[in-house]
Amino acid sequence: MNSGGVPYLNQAVAGTGNAEIVLETDHPGQPHQGKVFVAIHAHLHELPYYAGGLCAKLIREGYTGYLVRTTNDEKYGGHTIAQNILSNEQEHLKMAAAMGFKDVADLYYRAHRMNEISPTEIRGRLTLLLRMFKADTVISFHPWGYGEEDTDRQVTGRAVDDACVLAASESDFQEHLEAGFRPQSVTERYYFHTRSGQPFNRLVDIGSYVEAKIDAMVECRSQGGGALGSELRARLARQGKRLPLLGNDDRTANREYVRQFLLDDFRDYGRPHKFSYAERFYYVDRRPPAKTKVDEYVEKNAVGI
Amino acid sequence: MERRKFLGRSAAGGMAVGLGAALKPSRGASGLPGKFTPAAHAIPHSKYSPFTTPDYYTFADDLVIERNVPGKPHQGKVLAAVQAHSDDIPLFAAGTVAKLIDEGYTGYLIRLSNDEAAGRTLGYGVVQNEADIQEAARAMGCKRAYSFYYRNHRMDDNAVIEIRARLIFLFRLLQVNTIFAMDPYDHYDENPDHIVAGKAVEGACWMAGGGKDYPEHYKAGLKPAHIREKYYHARSPQGHNLVNRVVDISSYIDHKVRTNVANKGKGPAGTAGVRLRRQLARQGKKLALLGEDDETANLAYVKFFLMDDFHLLGQQFGLEYAEAFRYIGPEPSYAGNIMKYASEHAVPL
Ligand SMILES: [Zn+2]
Repeated sequence: MNSGGVPYLNQAVAGTGNAEIVLETDHPGQPHQGKVFVAIHAHLHELPYYAGGLCAKLIREGYTGYLVRTTNDEKYGGHTIAQNILSNEQEHLKMAAAMGFKDVADLYYRAHRMNEISPTEIRGRLTLLLRMFKADTVISFHPWGYGEEDTDRQVTGRAVDDACVLAASESDFQEHLEAGFRPQSVTERYYFHTRSGQPFNRLVDIGSYVEAKIDAMVECRSQGGGALGSELRARLARQGKRLPLLGNDDRTANREYVRQFLLDDFRDYGRPHKFSYAERFYYVDRRPPAKTKVDEYVEKNAVGI
Repeated sequence: MERRKFLGRSAAGGMAVGLGAALKPSRGASGLPGKFTPAAHAIPHSKYSPFTTPDYYTFADDLVIERNVPGKPHQGKVLAAVQAHSDDIPLFAAGTVAKLIDEGYTGYLIRLSNDEAAGRTLGYGVVQNEADIQEAARAMGCKRAYSFYYRNHRMDDNAVIEIRARLIFLFRLLQVNTIFAMDPYDHYDENPDHIVAGKAVEGACWMAGGGKDYPEHYKAGLKPAHIREKYYHARSPQGHNLVNRVVDISSYIDHKVRTNVANKGKGPAGTAGVRLRRQLARQGKKLALLGEDDETANLAYVKFFLMDDFHLLGQQFGLEYAEAFRYIGPEPSYAGNIMKYASEHAVPL
């Protein structure tokens, strides 16, 4: 496990079959100023659910964030296919704005059918986006995520991982270089923890960012449960009842519903470490060391001619 | 313009149009009953090389002969000549590409395969062809050559949608107005790379102008490319397409010769002249048309033996040399025409 010498990684603890787990806590100031992350998910609600806290934290600590959605989400929303595409598209923009993303790219591949698309085509598109946004860090699905039954997530994770490699290469998609987009090294990756049994090696304390996570989640109404609070409140009202938890307006109802019923996993993840909420990730550090082994060898052994 | 004349008819040992010009067409007596009108036409062929003009032509009744245009009428316009292999555009369209560039176009050559199927070893083949396309581009007057390096003869293994996406990117980046490509509706083509290339180019042409395809390109600062003119060429041998445009390339035949001589790694041209000259020398003979040096030998060989079929094609139309295309031009202003009708015929309420 390489903690990369990052100062805010304040402790490593024994994991549950995942080797060492690094606890990533708040860091004062803006240590990530000038850095860029690109979060890439398949469906509207995934990023806020699995990584809303992390994204809010990284943006607060200086990162510029970009959001990419790979599908058109046509299967979710309870309306016609076309209406679902529209509602998810608009909610995605609102969710991104709530999280503070600088820009959003939608690729609109058909939901539930991404295993029919050309792997090289989506990889090429993602490579351009990573170069264009100058991504240092990527947040997405684990490309070998155990037990991940959603094929859109499998395809997205695989394509993102491949694109991270190609984005750094001067020989791939040279037309991008011609257009002024230089090779881009993506040196850090956070893979979502989407299913129990998947590996994770980093636990991010999102206690300070849970309100931002909820803000993003309530924008996901077509899927992700963002409107369940107001719907429950309305249903109870028709029965002449109310839940004090849900407050007196729809927004409060939606937010408190999310907090009460949809964040259990994140409370559970944090509890052993005394975090009120935490998100799990498999973190990959590809930052080059300050000195290579060759540098060290030369330093030690070089003699005058 | 002087450069073009380096190989005038008399410059290479009294060179005349090749022997093929004197050969009879190979049609023979047609067995087609008189009640039928032929739909395809065989024209004379030199039989010097299979890789020149197709065995048949089908002509549209509104065929246009495109001749030289004085000045630079295409100034500000951009053409992309897209080929699967390093020898496709040189053999079938180099004269017209050179003509349009001379008339003001900025030209780009885009090769889709790596041409690995030609060469002493696969490695030598790709290196030679990589270098050749740069030279061929220069000979036509292109500003730049690009290559996507898909594996030669295996392009049906690639996702057309990915090739198309990359072409859309390049068309938008270069702001292409006009393309050259292998006709995706050729009547015969045994080479899968040609078919894939033609279909990818065709799809890319119209999508490059749209706002909804690959919107990330617009985030990247690119602009839509409105491709309003296409020149589709046939492959040969066989492989005829519908021809509605014959281009007079007489003034550009030496550009075409130079472009083909640049193709050393693939195709019938390259250093074939030198090889023939040396072969004859070993037998104690020489051909006057091959001149006294290697460069002359290569240029003369190509002009005499390989360009002859383009002369025979041109002759059918009263031209010295010609290339044939399925040309697809700008669409009429449909809405404008309706409005014109409305304004001419509308009466007061
Ligand atoms: Zn070819």
